[in-house]
Amino acid sequence: MNIEIKHIAKLARLRIEDEELKKFEKDMQGIVEMVENLPSDIKDEPLLDPENSMKLREDKVRENKYSRDELTKNAPHVTAGCLVVPKTVE
Amino acid sequence: MELYEKSAFELSQMIKNKQTSSVEITKSIFDRIDSVEEKVESYVTLNRDNALKKAEEVDKKLSNGDKLSPLAGIPIGIKDNISTKGLRTTCSSKMLENYVPPFNATVIENINNADMIITGKLNMDEFAMGSSTETSYFKKTKNPFDAERIPGGSSGGSAASVAAGETVVSLGSDTGGSIRQPAAYCGVVGLKPTYGRVSRFGLVAFASSLDQIGPIGRTVKDVAMLQSVISGHDRYDATSANAEIPDFLTKLKSDVKGLKIGIPKEYFGGGIDSNVKDAVFNAVKILEQNGASVKEISLPSTNYALSAYYIISSAEASSNLARYDGVKYGYRAKEFDSLIDMYEKTRSEGFGDEVKRRILLGTFVLSSGFFDAYYKKAKLVQRRVSAEFDEVFKDVDVICTPTVPSTAFKIGENIDNPLKMYATDICTVTINIAGLPAMSIPCGYDDKGLPIGLQLVGNKFCEQTLLNTANAYENIIGEFKSPLL
Amino acid sequence: MVKGYEVVIGLEVHAELNTESKIYCDCKNAFGLEVNTQVCPICMGMPGALPTLNEKVVDYAIKMGHALNCTINNVCKQDRKNYFYPDLPKAYQISQAEVPLCENGHLDILVDGEERRIGVTRIHIEEDAGKLLHSDKFDGSLVDLNRCGVPLIEIVSEPDMRSSAEAHAYLETIKSILQYLNISDCKMQEGSIRCDVNVSVHKPGESLGTRSEMKNVNSFSAAVRGIDFEVNRQIEILEAGGEVIQETRRWDDTKGESLSMRSKEDAQDYRYFPEPDLLTIVIDKERIEKLKSEIPELPNKKLVRYVKEFGLSQKDASFISEDIEKSGLFDECVKDNPKLAKSVSNWILSDVAKYCNETGKKISETKLTADKLLYIIKLIGDGKISNSAGKTIFEIIIDKDKDIDEIIKEKSLVQVSDASALEAIADEVIANNGKSVNDYKNGKTNALGYLVGQCMKASKGKANPGMMKEIILKKIDG
Repeated sequence: MNIEIKHIAKLARLRIEDEELKKFEKDMQGIVEMVENLPSDIKDEPLLDPENSMKLREDKVRENKYSRDELTKNAPHVTAGCLVVPKTVE
Repeated sequence: MELYEKSAFELSQMIKNKQTSSVEITKSIFDRIDSVEEKVESYVTLNRDNALKKAEEVDKKLSNGDKLSPLAGIPIGIKDNISTKGLRTTCSSKMLENYVPPFNATVIENINNADMIITGKLNMDEFAMGSSTETSYFKKTKNPFDAERIPGGSSGGSAASVAAGETVVSLGSDTGGSIRQPAAYCGVVGLKPTYGRVSRFGLVAFASSLDQIGPIGRTVKDVAMLQSVISGHDRYDATSANAEIPDFLTKLKSDVKGLKIGIPKEYFGGGIDSNVKDAVFNAVKILEQNGASVKEISLPSTNYALSAYYIISSAEASSNLARYDGVKYGYRAKEFDSLIDMYEKTRSEGFGDEVKRRILLGTFVLSSGFFDAYYKKAKLVQRRVSAEFDEVFKDVDVICTPTVPSTAFKIGENIDNPLKMYATDICTVTINIAGLPAMSIPCGYDDKGLPIGLQLVGNKFCEQTLLNTANAYENIIGEFKSPLL
Repeated sequence: MVKGYEVVIGLEVHAELNTESKIYCDCKNAFGLEVNTQVCPICMGMPGALPTLNEKVVDYAIKMGHALNCTINNVCKQDRKNYFYPDLPKAYQISQAEVPLCENGHLDILVDGEERRIGVTRIHIEEDAGKLLHSDKFDGSLVDLNRCGVPLIEIVSEPDMRSSAEAHAYLETIKSILQYLNISDCKMQEGSIRCDVNVSVHKPGESLGTRSEMKNVNSFSAAVRGIDFEVNRQIEILEAGGEVIQETRRWDDTKGESLSMRSKEDAQDYRYFPEPDLLTIVIDKERIEKLKSEIPELPNKKLVRYVKEFGLSQKDASFISEDIEKSGLFDECVKDNPKLAKSVSNWILSDVAKYCNETGKKISETKLTADKLLYIIKLIGDGKISNSAGKTIFEIIIDKDKDIDEIIKEKSLVQVSDASALEAIADEVIANNGKSVNDYKNGKTNALGYLVGQCMKASKGKANPGMMKEIILKKIDG
């Protein structure tokens, strides 16, 4: 299996510099070969597990749990209560 | 014997009998940290002032005659991927170097309600990815039995601190062996509970469907006590189970009469060190001599579990770690010329190589055209693995295997060889894939004096059976032996 | 058909649900509040925070599934859709991919008097993203996460629509159903319903053309404009010998054009996989049946019924049926009086609609009841009061709890239908308007209207105009 590390890295928003590329390619090659050890006689079916279902939450509001400052204090750049990112244009 | 060497169970009795106080115990722990932390390096962040303040409060409550939990006033260390409000939670990553959570994990709320004393945050492999704690951005924790060796991982700090007397008990997290493997390497007791037994709310996710928080201690009783504190349904974790929570300590038995032990042949193959094999067989023999019956069993899909584990855990990790993008919290690159440039630089500078490898693997196995062949197949293999265990547990109560194929390796020995590093998880990952509870307890030492771990695996929500078995064994061979530091 | 091409349209409608709390956390589901104040560690995607699914979201989606004749998958799950954007704090949206909550449904719509059945591929539940704010004065974009985790249903249609008019009818019908079920506020200006449009064109008899997907369509009229633009753009390309490429386009409604966002080659790879923080959703069958029993008769069904049973025009029928209160009033009035359907419809379309528009009130917020409206209509029909007296009464009772008979007495609105009294008036008017009488006799028929008008005036509006007319005719012709 040939893995396009650059393409995968782009999907994951990682940048692999050229000098690291070889090493990552080699590592990934080995890892992917390892994980390819899977049985061939597996029947395909939806990934549902009805025996193990979850309880749903009641539709109830809990207000004023956190202040805005508490929640944004870890952010690298905040202005007027908003998180700031480089300009986005679609 | 110093206070820091005593078990939580003993200290709890002493507090009850007014032979000591929480402040004295806490001071003893911090004195110990001051004298050995330089050698062990198990902590990322110490919580000294708050711990002493809390100890004083607990002592006051005790002198008021308040009825407190059995673990009230007992020091505990917390793996640094469990959110602690107001106390930095780094996951040993540059990415979260300065991240201070605005909320507590549910287990931290439980620990606070039990009036335990948090000593600090313990070192780990970055985002719990690793088997040696060497991928930590901050420091390399040493094995207290041999400072040239790794303590195991990813909860290396949690195991090493307990073994070194730098805390009394600790919390770790286990995705593929991250509690049991370091417990084995550091000669302490570690329990990975059944998936869903302990709330994951506030545990920084690595692989959501496999992660479980669990206790590490020097004795089985300590682990039992701590497990009672952290167990239970949490309405904030949809995957947490609504199972009955026994008081593990009071129900603790000390004999194994009638216990049916299974020995899976797939776990004793060529990769297992002969010292380890001998110690595990010896432990099984001791249990047998004390009334347990032993039979060989087979878990044929074990062979595929490592693949399934690395596919599922990496896939989930690639998604769980996508949120570290320099926008809401954590590291942000200093210079960038666009949004995408900011994302890529932030993530490339903020994550270490092992984390990047897992993200790349996970992204690959989920990517268009590969999903069915890797991720979906791995999930279907997971069902097969679970079904095999279900079948086996119709006949046996406990499965005994080695925790790790060998004893602790040297720092740097495997760091450039991810495959060799991953292979050390071979005995533990299958248990996470099946969602079962499992313990590692010390069962002897190799020819270099390094601890060997016996893994006990139980059926879902049968932690009590594991604790009973471990307790009986511990009663026979004696409790934890301190390393010389 | 447009310029010899068949048009194929499929729609994906996103509707925000009006639950109290968000889909995965207990933050308030509210619009227009101060930035980043309706958030918590869960909807902000803090490390370690976990989602829990709001049961109302599941109920509402099932109701919509019933309304659109879907199969309800009582065992289903949620999946993660992975992509990076600053308004998506976890860098994945929790949605449904492999097994949606509802699928294989259909919706009947009425277009130009003809019923059309549009297939509904699926309805699934998911979370909304936050908002990015831009300002020319500021070098950067600002992120407000209040909308993160607002519950959405996505309704995906089959490519069954053949014109922008059909698409418009489909969207309007979806909207009125959402309102009937009271599961969405449907406030277009707040973005609570949005849609993505898939369009392709092909020559009759040929296979389907390459489609383009248009995003950012924020109103139904914009959808119509966008579709018409896209159809023409594609036809122009084909007519010029070119090829339509599969791509995602963005509709700019102010400029009235769509622009390419990304082609198929750069298509995002969302890497869907089952959401491991949530377990399988299992809904018991009784709950699904109970939700079905709560579904009222839906506007598209009412529309057809009003046209077929009562002979209303499609325009009038759709005006009444699209609003649950107007149709409720209509249905209650005509239930035992099917012959009055036309009059009832006229009253709702004119006086009731006018009052609601002017005051901004809903019918339920007025004092109007079906009984009162029927009583007014019957009084007029029986000749007890005049039409204008009816309107006078209506204007009073819509605001006040007043007895109609009392109003009639107080304002002496009783219509004079006593023949001898009317004859006296007629005699007087004929005597005083000899010229008009002669005009009429000489064939100027509109002189009759003048004479009746004079009688009405003389009676201060109380004369029964029908009887008045007959009496005058009898007297002049006689």
